[in-house]
Amino acid sequence: MTRYFILFAVIAGFWLQGLTALAAPVTPVPGPKDKCPVCGMFVHKYPAWTTVISFNDGSRAWFDGTKDLFNYLNNLPRFAPGKTAAMVAAIQVRDYYSLKLIDARTAFYVIGSNVYGPMGHELIPLARQDEAQEFLKDHAGRRIVRYHEITPALLKTLE
Amino acid sequence: MHRALNRHRNILDFALSSLMRRKAKNISLFLVYTLIIFVIASLIFFVQALKREAALLLTEAPDMVVQRMIAGRHDLIPTRYAEKIGAIRGVSAVVPRLWGYYYDPVFQANYTLLVPDTEPPPPGSIMIGSGVARNLRIKTDDLVTFRSYSGMPLLLTVTAILPQHSELVAADLVLMAAEDFQAMFRMPKDVATDLAITVANPRELVTVANKIVEQFPDTRPILKSELLRTYDSLFDWRGGMMVVMLAVAVLSFVIFAWDKASGLSAEERKEIGILKSIGWETGDVLLLKFWEGAVISLTAFLAGVLLAYLHVFFSSAALFSHALKGWAILYPQFKLVPAVDGYQLSVLFVLAVLPYTAATIIPAWLAATIAPDAAMRS
Repeated sequence: MTRYFILFAVIAGFWLQGLTALAAPVTPVPGPKDKCPVCGMFVHKYPAWTTVISFNDGSRAWFDGTKDLFNYLNNLPRFAPGKTAAMVAAIQVRDYYSLKLIDARTAFYVIGSNVYGPMGHELIPLARQDEAQEFLKDHAGRRIVRYHEITPALLKTLE
Repeated sequence: MHRALNRHRNILDFALSSLMRRKAKNISLFLVYTLIIFVIASLIFFVQALKREAALLLTEAPDMVVQRMIAGRHDLIPTRYAEKIGAIRGVSAVVPRLWGYYYDPVFQANYTLLVPDTEPPPPGSIMIGSGVARNLRIKTDDLVTFRSYSGMPLLLTVTAILPQHSELVAADLVLMAAEDFQAMFRMPKDVATDLAITVANPRELVTVANKIVEQFPDTRPILKSELLRTYDSLFDWRGGMMVVMLAVAVLSFVIFAWDKASGLSAEERKEIGILKSIGWETGDVLLLKFWEGAVISLTAFLAGVLLAYLHVFFSSAALFSHALKGWAILYPQFKLVPAVDGYQLSVLFVLAVLPYTAATIIPAWLAATIAPDAAMRS
């Protein structure tokens, strides 16, 4: 009996170790219970659209699109009382072509295109300028904007 | 508790003996009932199993397949197309595929030859599906001879027999190395049967397909969703054709059951009158009729479903396989992997057993509520 218990403990130990080793470098994935704090929808249903803000206390906020992420960022006191802009560790949006998470500050965003997200009109994030230009051409986009150009006034036009 | 159980047991006893008294009527009823359940359940099992086979086939299918066409017919695609297609934005991978069919004149069977893109067998060896193994009567480490297009026989060693996840998909499969495939069909090295394309964002598939046609007007992209739709409509149409037939069968059954179960004969009416006059309550009479109906419908349901299971999964749906499996590939032995959908069976149960039971109880209730002497006299 004790022998089995030791065996079990050893296996469980390895397993846990494996888990923690895996957890560190892997890009974050939303859980089935994660809801968008802006619109209240479950985000795991839209794997092609999820974006994320990571805070330096280890917590994360998930969104089902880029638009909601920026609405949240622009209105932190309302959506996340107790959190400040200084606590934001990383802002990641999803590249349209590769569906990988990329840094929101360096991304190129196409607005006014014929590609709609779960929340309708969207800012479509792309990793590179030439990609953004091609997307703009393919999907009848209006223009390309950068991170600092995304203001509440611009977001208002996407509603 | 114990008393209630005893009461049920006695009434069930009486129901069984009263069923035995009208043997001819009840046996014919049971047979027709079983037959209809058998046909419906067979169809449910069969369509379910076919859908499962198709789903297995398509989980591995690429997002998009690009074929080259010449004068409207499929042609070999140059592998240099792959690089240019790979450069299109949104495309994450392009894999040239080699596959085709081989007709074995000795055993009169068609095999599907395929060069797998991950871990192909080394040149000179093949992995075969269970159907091929059965047909050629070979096992692992045996040698197989295929007749190549140059007229020379090609000697290949069987290294493995593929697991039987899906008989319909894998039975006729022969996996071989690209070198053997090219030698067998005297194919140039710079062409492929078609290109399998992976696109990370499914939303971009149509745009990518349009760009491919624009760059290479001699190609035809086929999306996985189109394949899925084709398979779906194929099975649904086949299922649908049978459903029309079944609707007729079910309707005739309903008429039959209604006629048999609802019209109480004068004799049965008299019996109810006698039972009531010797002290049975209306509830007891209803219980008796309920048990009579339940015994017939439950046994017929179980027998029908059991027979259907044997029919579909053990005799390979012998009764309607000719109508439903129309394709021309020869299967030495076609066996479906059992796939049973509990939901559909419960729907069948509710649709078949409950109405019949209701149809037996209601007229009995009408007869049991009138005065015993009136019932006996009528």
